[in-house]
Amino acid sequence: MVQLRPRASCTPASAEAMVDEGQPASEEAAEHGLLLGQPSSGAAAEPLEEDEEGDDEFDDEAPEELTFASAQAEAKEEERRVRETARRDKILLKEKRKRREELFIEQKKRKLLPDAILEKLTTASQISIKKSPGKLKEVNLQKKNEDHEKGNDSKKAKVQKVQSVSQNKSYVALRLKDQDLRDSRQQAAKAFIQNSLYGPGTNRTTVNKFLSLANKRLPVKKAAAQFLSNTWGVQKKQNAKRFKRRWMFRKMKASGRI
Amino acid sequence: MGEFRVHRVRFFNYVPSGIRCVAYNNQSNRLAVSRTDGTVEIYNLSANYFQEKFFPGHESRATEALCWAKGQRLFSAGLNGEIIEYDLQALHIKYSMDAFGGPIWSMTASPSGSQLLIGCEDGSVKLFQITSDKIQFERNFDRQKSRILSLSWHPSGTHIAAGSIDYVSVFDVKSGSATHKMIVDRRYMGVSKRKCIIWGVAFLSDGTVISVDSAGKVQLWDSATGTLVKSHLIANADVQSIAVSDQEDSFVVGTAEGTVFHFQLVSVTSSSNEKQWVRTKPFQHHTHDVRAVAHSPTALISGGTDTHLVIRPLMEKVEVKNYDAALRKITFPHRCLISCSKKRHLLLFQFAHHLELWRLGSTVATGKNGDILPLSKNADHLLQLKTKGPENIISSCISPCGSWIAYSTASRFFLYRLSYEHENISLQKVPKMPAFLRSALQILFSEDSTKLFVASNQGSLHIIQLLEGHFKHLHTFQPRSGTVEAMCLLAVSPDGKWLAASGTSAGVHIYSLKELKAYCTVPAYNFPVTALAIAPNTNNLVIAHSDQQVFEYSIPDKQYTEWSRAIQKQGFHHLWLQRDTPITHISFHPKRPTHILLHDAYMFCIIDKSLPLPNDRTLLYSPVSLTNESDVRRRTAHAFKISKKYKPLLFMELLDERTLVAVERPLDDIIAQLPPPIKKKKFGT
Repeated sequence: MVQLRPRASCTPASAEAMVDEGQPASEEAAEHGLLLGQPSSGAAAEPLEEDEEGDDEFDDEAPEELTFASAQAEAKEEERRVRETARRDKILLKEKRKRREELFIEQKKRKLLPDAILEKLTTASQISIKKSPGKLKEVNLQKKNEDHEKGNDSKKAKVQKVQSVSQNKSYVALRLKDQDLRDSRQQAAKAFIQNSLYGPGTNRTTVNKFLSLANKRLPVKKAAAQFLSNTWGVQKKQNAKRFKRRWMFRKMKASGRI
Repeated sequence: MGEFRVHRVRFFNYVPSGIRCVAYNNQSNRLAVSRTDGTVEIYNLSANYFQEKFFPGHESRATEALCWAKGQRLFSAGLNGEIIEYDLQALHIKYSMDAFGGPIWSMTASPSGSQLLIGCEDGSVKLFQITSDKIQFERNFDRQKSRILSLSWHPSGTHIAAGSIDYVSVFDVKSGSATHKMIVDRRYMGVSKRKCIIWGVAFLSDGTVISVDSAGKVQLWDSATGTLVKSHLIANADVQSIAVSDQEDSFVVGTAEGTVFHFQLVSVTSSSNEKQWVRTKPFQHHTHDVRAVAHSPTALISGGTDTHLVIRPLMEKVEVKNYDAALRKITFPHRCLISCSKKRHLLLFQFAHHLELWRLGSTVATGKNGDILPLSKNADHLLQLKTKGPENIISSCISPCGSWIAYSTASRFFLYRLSYEHENISLQKVPKMPAFLRSALQILFSEDSTKLFVASNQGSLHIIQLLEGHFKHLHTFQPRSGTVEAMCLLAVSPDGKWLAASGTSAGVHIYSLKELKAYCTVPAYNFPVTALAIAPNTNNLVIAHSDQQVFEYSIPDKQYTEWSRAIQKQGFHHLWLQRDTPITHISFHPKRPTHILLHDAYMFCIIDKSLPLPNDRTLLYSPVSLTNESDVRRRTAHAFKISKKYKPLLFMELLDERTLVAVERPLDDIIAQLPPPIKKKKFGT
């Protein structure tokens, strides 16, 4: 929206300028053209309807007589005005861009941590200490808090707090990208060991079968593990219970209808 | 002994994590064991196999290799790609160093102990120089195509063998290039398996390389020519570990079926000088995979997924046929994972990553001795506290009044206030706990729950005053100058006057809490302390050592008591001294000052100091068949009254005069939660 407005005012002006340039070639034609163009160029911001009205009036009445000098003066005045507006628009635009740029810079500054902390972080990363992901999260949180801070004073207080934390070496800055790579490699290594020990083709039995086999060979036979331990096969037991309930309900419903 | 009503607790759902590596140190006769959750434990084999130190685990630290180097320095490496050195004095991690080769699968120290070799996921073998306080990368060997799963040095230090997938390569240490590549047959009984993983290699001084692989073979190679000399097919499943004795006359392998095989170098005929490797003894002490084995001069040591650490002494190596020649099976940690609030009948269970708070059930029924009483109110699971972050819990405690819970991890200390309103329970975290309390090895509340004692791994003891909802740091007892020995056991007297603390090695220090200064030190004893307690009223300190000796020391008199002197003079019963699990808890009867209650994993004992001491001819254990109480009294009229009814017993405490709580953990329940074992055909099933 903001950007569109200056352009809208800019295009008519440049159109005028083109007409101006054509002026020296044939003065009469230029005069005519200027006369034609005058109402619209006089007020660039004026609505188009008025412009059309003016055209209608012009069509109805015969053209007024004008002396050459007055016409020339008028034309020059007009030209000057057009140039002025063009220049003013340009300056306005420049100023606006400048303001925006300043705003961007300031925003960027606001997002960044203060210099003191950044320095601390770089020195801390040189002293390689073991870090933990939990700690890292804490740091991120603190950074976020920092972003939300607006008042200058409160910001200072926060800065001091961060500094005191870093002095205790309770966290270490690190690049998340490296950690991801390392985690994925560790996962792959774990998957390899899991697959080679417990994967397909490793001839594993289940704990249940193992225990029942042991029970079979005992001199004193006991009940199976799932009957002795309540924690065994909780999901299966629940499923069986639910199935039984549903089955009974279905039966009762069927018998009720009959 | 039908004098107590016993809460028999079996809902402590504790599963120890599986053993991944073991490393034996010949110099100090110590054994380092690493578990799948990253915990590293140190066992002192000369001190009756007592677990004297431990390093708490960490979720991201999957330890894959463990080794001793330069005498007493312990290193571990894991799938997070870091090499870690442990500080065995202060019980923390000295440093961790990224090897930049991806996950590390294997690590071994050079025969001289000055270099460290690691095998990585990306196929690189890296050599590190061990300096006085750190390790330094030296160089890479020729990179292999696939991960290096096992490594072994030649005893002269000139060559190394590296096991990978489908092949074993031999490197020249000087040039760093591979001299031989020995391809392993991946067929298993004629069927082509996917790939053959070399789980372990061993390099002998005569140039023989022994490899164990996932096809169930133990193979001997000649490293000079790169040819296969002999192959033993010993299992239907993976052979996962190998260890060679120092004399190189025997080695031990562990298989996924749970069998451990002993190989020995024996003469072909009785007269000839020619020797060959023969499979001599199989041992089946494990039910699951044997992931790690070690060979001490006198014993085979094995550990695996079934969480047992088995120490099998070799009969031919044992000189005296005493109880040291017996098999040891260590399953449970030698420290207390349970604490109890007597007043509210609460139990706090400590797991690796959470705490559970239970309220004991109650009954209104009465019965005669031996009856099982029905519960009128079931045990309640009140609370489950999960830790944040990947670190394991080191220690935890609930206050006697039940309104405080404290626990500690390697980096933080947590204190919670519990409040009870009728049936509801609410939990409030006490904020801003000071950082110096972190990695506390033992936490203890005073009897009136107003003070908190924290033993840190730096050797200092902190005293915290607890007020309503907040705390105040009262005092810190600094360790003796020049020592950084971690404190791991604490005991406070019920009247709140004395605090006793013992470190990882021998030595119990007593502090006066009224004057806030060190009071005295109990005369040193060679074996580490396993349990401590101070008796009410008399202020006698009872100390149990790992060799099953029990001392009673009078704090006000600064000397051993008469009873303690008497029993030391006469000596303990020989069966008592042969017990193989350490005494982990001592308590006292409030109404009977002559009684001491103590327990280890397989028995519960009441020592009655007023009765005569047993000599070696008397029966130590009372026969089970006797139910008549007077009969029992007559037959076992000595000081030690032992009950073996509850086992494996993790915790036993007196709640009030007539009530005991016993926490058991049946082994069947642990097996039920382990990973699946290998299928084995049993005849007749």
